[in-house]
Amino acid sequence: MSQTDFTRPECQKATGFEGCAPLISLKGITKRFGKVVANNDISLDLYPGRIKALLGENGAGKSTLMSMLAGRFRPDEGYIEVDGKRVDFSNSKDAIKAGVGMVYQHFMLVDTMTVAQNVLLGQEGGFFVNPKEMEERVRKLAEDYELEIDPSAKVSTLSMGEKQRVEILKLLYRESRVLIFDEPTAVLTPREAFRLFEALWAMTRQGKSVVFISHKLEEVMAIADEVAILRRGNIDAEVSRDKITSKADLACRMVGKEVILEVDKEDVEIGDKVLEVKDMTGIGLRDINLEVRKGEVVAIVGVAGNGQQELVEGVCGMRKPPKDKIFIMGKPWRKFFAEMTWNNSMSYIPEDRLDLATARNLDLVDNLLLSTRQGFSAGPLLQHDKAAKVAEELVEEYDVRPGRIRALAWQLSGGNLQKMVLARELYRQPHLIVAEQPTQGLDISATEEVWNRLLEARKMAGVLLVTGDLGEALQLADRVAVMYCGQIMDEFSVNDKEKVDSIGLLMAGVRE
Amino acid sequence: MLESFIVPLLAATVQSGTPILYATLGEILTEKGGVLNLGVEGMMSMAAFAAFFVTMTTGNPWFGFIAGGIAGVFMAALHGLVCITCLGNQVVSGLALTILGVGLCNFLGTPYIGTATEGFDKFSFPVLSAIPYIGDIFFRQDALVYVSYLIPVLFMFFINRTSLGLAITAVGEKPAAAAAVGLKAVRLRWIALLGGGFLIGLGGSYLSLAYTHLWANGLSGGRGWIAVALVIFAFWRPGRAVFGAYLFGGVMAFQLRLQAVGTHIPSSLLLMLPYSLTILVLIFSAMRGRSGNAPAHLGINIEPEG
Repeated sequence: MSQTDFTRPECQKATGFEGCAPLISLKGITKRFGKVVANNDISLDLYPGRIKALLGENGAGKSTLMSMLAGRFRPDEGYIEVDGKRVDFSNSKDAIKAGVGMVYQHFMLVDTMTVAQNVLLGQEGGFFVNPKEMEERVRKLAEDYELEIDPSAKVSTLSMGEKQRVEILKLLYRESRVLIFDEPTAVLTPREAFRLFEALWAMTRQGKSVVFISHKLEEVMAIADEVAILRRGNIDAEVSRDKITSKADLACRMVGKEVILEVDKEDVEIGDKVLEVKDMTGIGLRDINLEVRKGEVVAIVGVAGNGQQELVEGVCGMRKPPKDKIFIMGKPWRKFFAEMTWNNSMSYIPEDRLDLATARNLDLVDNLLLSTRQGFSAGPLLQHDKAAKVAEELVEEYDVRPGRIRALAWQLSGGNLQKMVLARELYRQPHLIVAEQPTQGLDISATEEVWNRLLEARKMAGVLLVTGDLGEALQLADRVAVMYCGQIMDEFSVNDKEKVDSIGLLMAGVRE
Repeated sequence: MLESFIVPLLAATVQSGTPILYATLGEILTEKGGVLNLGVEGMMSMAAFAAFFVTMTTGNPWFGFIAGGIAGVFMAALHGLVCITCLGNQVVSGLALTILGVGLCNFLGTPYIGTATEGFDKFSFPVLSAIPYIGDIFFRQDALVYVSYLIPVLFMFFINRTSLGLAITAVGEKPAAAAAVGLKAVRLRWIALLGGGFLIGLGGSYLSLAYTHLWANGLSGGRGWIAVALVIFAFWRPGRAVFGAYLFGGVMAFQLRLQAVGTHIPSSLLLMLPYSLTILVLIFSAMRGRSGNAPAHLGINIEPEG
């Protein structure tokens, strides 16, 4: 489990569907939102027993395309054929009837209802329903597809992987023949991801067609039969998996230019301690000892939910840690936050870009001011013009698109918003940067840019990087700390080959 | 003491709790679907007048009872037009509905102040009324009270055991999830809102047809607001709504009795009791931290896609 390695066992191959006609064909689909062309004249065939990966950068139009297939939007031009017959989906019910089902990135589940109620919602088959009988039906279906789940459990008590299984059961119950997965592994642990792939293979063996939207190259390499690459609303290439020689080859096809997934890391002089956590127990953490010095990147890795969030919130002042356990730039936590200044201090780059890092309905200038307000004040007055000028410069320097400072935060794609957040936080000249999943959901070029910016920032700051992406941690960090159940299992240099190889075990709580 | 004070008090409790019970269940249904309706007070007032007027003209209180429900549906439809169709602010619309309902019913009702009408009289329910104490409390009431005994049970059955009930719950919790499985979220909200409006209207009918048999302005007297608060107290569960409604009914009946007996406590303080209790109940609910039981999309409009 050290690196995500998913290879498809021979027995998992779906056979007997060669030469079948496509289940679904998209014919010349075009969709516009205002002036933006989200999809331009796209044609695509989906065959039974095959997994089609839809690969593309953020904002390439993958989700829009699949939403049309799932009946959420209607195409402006073009049409969809099911079994060779033209259909017109006016809502998701039509799509479900035609056998198209979608597992959304954000689960469409009702938290307060049980698994069985969620699976059967809208499909109860009669006005009166019987909870026991519903649970029995769902239990049987889950057994058929070897999906482990308790049908009587409330959805709010389930893990992400289990919730996803509920979504899959919903589709299977509706006898969907085409199942669309929108970045399904983003929320899963590697183990859960592998179980998902097994389920996908099981589905293809039964003749279902699977569409897998992702930008995780290794996953696409592992499970796809065909790869369709979407770029700026166009199908750029459609290739069989056999024709793809390597991950680099695929990456290259995806972004249209050679991408170096490895970044150059020049040595930076190590300076003073900017963060120190001493024997901290509390706020869900145990015996945490941690040190970050100026000029280094310390990565916290681990399966999500093992205390990383508590640690970040403790350090960043969102949660009160026990007294005299956390020291930031030499000052005790309370003193530091009491005296905190807007610059030469601490920057936090949260995982939740749209609701924590920015205010979604404010423009880029106001979003810049969120954490730099004191820098643009003259007495009680706010120097809005000055802020606008700085915003303009930052947008230019970081190439934030669209290049308008009056664009609202929610209008930016994930990558561009992250660039703006990074621009703002680095503008504050911090000495300590806490970056939480800084490249989650970003495409390769944006990831590369964020990585380079963070490495660059080491010249002025120490970086505490919390990430679920081991590759990212190994690329950027000088030292890695593995968290499990609120504890730091081990901490070591990235050059310690032996320790690095044991990260998978440490993440699972196994100590040699 | 028991015979002469407690039993009659409890019987009066049931009677004054009944209109609140109807209204609370109506508001729970409305909110289950995700619409916050603060117009209960106005809806009950209008319904009380409609029930009175129809009974007076037709002479049949059952027509009046249903007419009150229909008045509630019309008032709810007004709220739906603003909030569901035009995506207006639910709080503002609800408050406006209260002002409209109370004002309009006073305007229409003023010529009839003091006019008596047919109504529902108390009768002993066969067999059950013979049970000692219980019979006296619960089964020597009017027909509408007997109807109200059935409603919480039917309500629970509807929410938990029918596909429509589950669909409405889903729409209140997460309209997008409901839409994704092909349910018509907006239509389901309308159903919950209008159905809830009907029940709230029935609560209003009770006031003019059974609680009194004559018309007076301000008949609703804050009961609509109490119902809104009770929904929170009941954590959106019909079973607890019954308890809450009778608790308030009890306090109202008790303060009336105290006034009648003539205590040294000023009557204005006694009149305050139900409303002070409302505040206490809300504090209690907040402390129990269960306001998280509210439907997750309560008060949030469903924006059209695309």
